[in-house]
Amino acid sequence: MEIRCPKLGGQVTFAYCLKEAGELPCSRIINCWQSYFPVEKYIRKRLTPAEWKRCFNQTPKEKILTLIELIEAAKNKPVK
Amino acid sequence: MVFFNWKGENNMKQTKVFLNESEMPRQWYNIVADLPTPMSPPLHPGTGQPVGPDDLAPVFPMNLIEQEVSTERWIDIPEPVLDKLCLWRPSPLYRARNFEKLLDAPVKIYYKNEGVSPPGSHKPNTAVAQAYYNKVFGIKRLSTETGAGQWGSALSMACQMFGLECRVFMVKISYEQKPYRRLMMMTWGADCIPSPSNLTQAGRKILDEYPDSPGSLGMAISEAIEDAVGDKDARYSLGSVLNHVLLHQTIIGLEAQKQLEKIGDYPDIVMGCAGGGSNFAGLCLPFVRDKIHGKQISIVAVEPTSCPTMTRGPFAYDFGDTAMTTPLLPMHTLGHGFVPAPIHAGGLRYHGMAPILSHLLKEQIIEARALDQIETFTAGINWARTEGFIPAPETNHAIAAVVQEAQKAKEEGKEKTILFNWSGHGLVDLAAYDAFLSGKLKTYDLPEEELQKALKSIEGFPKP
Repeated sequence: MEIRCPKLGGQVTFAYCLKEAGELPCSRIINCWQSYFPVEKYIRKRLTPAEWKRCFNQTPKEKILTLIELIEAAKNKPVK
Repeated sequence: MVFFNWKGENNMKQTKVFLNESEMPRQWYNIVADLPTPMSPPLHPGTGQPVGPDDLAPVFPMNLIEQEVSTERWIDIPEPVLDKLCLWRPSPLYRARNFEKLLDAPVKIYYKNEGVSPPGSHKPNTAVAQAYYNKVFGIKRLSTETGAGQWGSALSMACQMFGLECRVFMVKISYEQKPYRRLMMMTWGADCIPSPSNLTQAGRKILDEYPDSPGSLGMAISEAIEDAVGDKDARYSLGSVLNHVLLHQTIIGLEAQKQLEKIGDYPDIVMGCAGGGSNFAGLCLPFVRDKIHGKQISIVAVEPTSCPTMTRGPFAYDFGDTAMTTPLLPMHTLGHGFVPAPIHAGGLRYHGMAPILSHLLKEQIIEARALDQIETFTAGINWARTEGFIPAPETNHAIAAVVQEAQKAKEEGKEKTILFNWSGHGLVDLAAYDAFLSGKLKTYDLPEEELQKALKSIEGFPKP
């Protein structure tokens, strides 16, 4: 089963959403999948409270601030 | 003026309104000049000071940074940009007479057809401008990320037009599933890389940990930024959210205003789908200006219920507005127990949404609505069966909202004129239509058996 990912603009499986953020699920996973099965219950079982907080209760950044952070991180890498 | 209708007959029912190339707007409109209240500048996470031009210089050329922070109301569109835009612009304004007939409501429906661009969406309106400004700044290569490829294909074409190299980090799962957009990028000469890749430290780190990682948009952005920062001849390009991107898209609404003026009409409602917000903003910002100056008009952004950045703003709260002069609002929840109760409305930010639109929403100049995918695909199918054009799945959100407005007008017995942005065609997204037509998108409670099957499919993935 696949649903359309509003971030990617393409079809994805639940497995993809579950590891979209590397070790954590996509922060949209509950919203996207709650129509299909009790996803929140499943995710709560799977994550520790700390992981849950990291995944779902983090203060999101504005895009420009995300860019600034990525720029700062990339500056420390060698220039071609 | 030439009159056409669906059957191509010359009669008095006008379906399209054209502008000559000479009538194309020569300036973009900058809403920042007309905002009733100023926007708070974003603060640098390291210094706590407002983000300045130097902070952005590693990834954007200074001419675009100047646009990003500009408060000038009108900004000239350079001639070389106009020359390229003329390949498909001015885009036609259509009257959706067949869809109106289907709805049988007292509404006139107009739409800007942005699907006529070579990549099939509104995205090249800013891609062309960004490529040009980078070129004149002396940049040789642009780097970007793309999900399913809509932005990547637009930038690939634009770079080719101005003789720039283009590198697109495409989320691996889409790279493998979406060969057509990948091939469009390659046809336009871009280097399309599945992300995570071995080209960057960010990509290599992920691949070391998860060799089969399907990638994500966040990961692809990290790679594109690193790629741009690490090459003095390269810069990064973003297809939505930022002020200068929205600025470039205002040509859509400016054209629409001229076209409506030609036929002596004006909308009661302006609508568009909103992900990052660029296509919605492109159509609506010139009308927001009218509204600020007294026009009675509703301006509605439509988003998916599965990604409700504006209608719910889940997890999207910060306290950037330190004055805290506005009342607290209750936070909408996505499920009990995992969302903090109060947020400060004055500092509310909608993650992933353009700050300008967040600001207009906060000021109640625009409104937002969320629709589910079943409703939107139903509207899109009805659209295709009446108007012919197959919309992009995102565009279906705007169409579904138009349907709602038409039904409302019918119930109230009021005549309404609706304008919306038909932001792109869906010819490269037919897999999504396949899923809908075969019933796979149906909203239902997943049977236990299928749930177990779905969960079984993820066994073996690393547990956090």
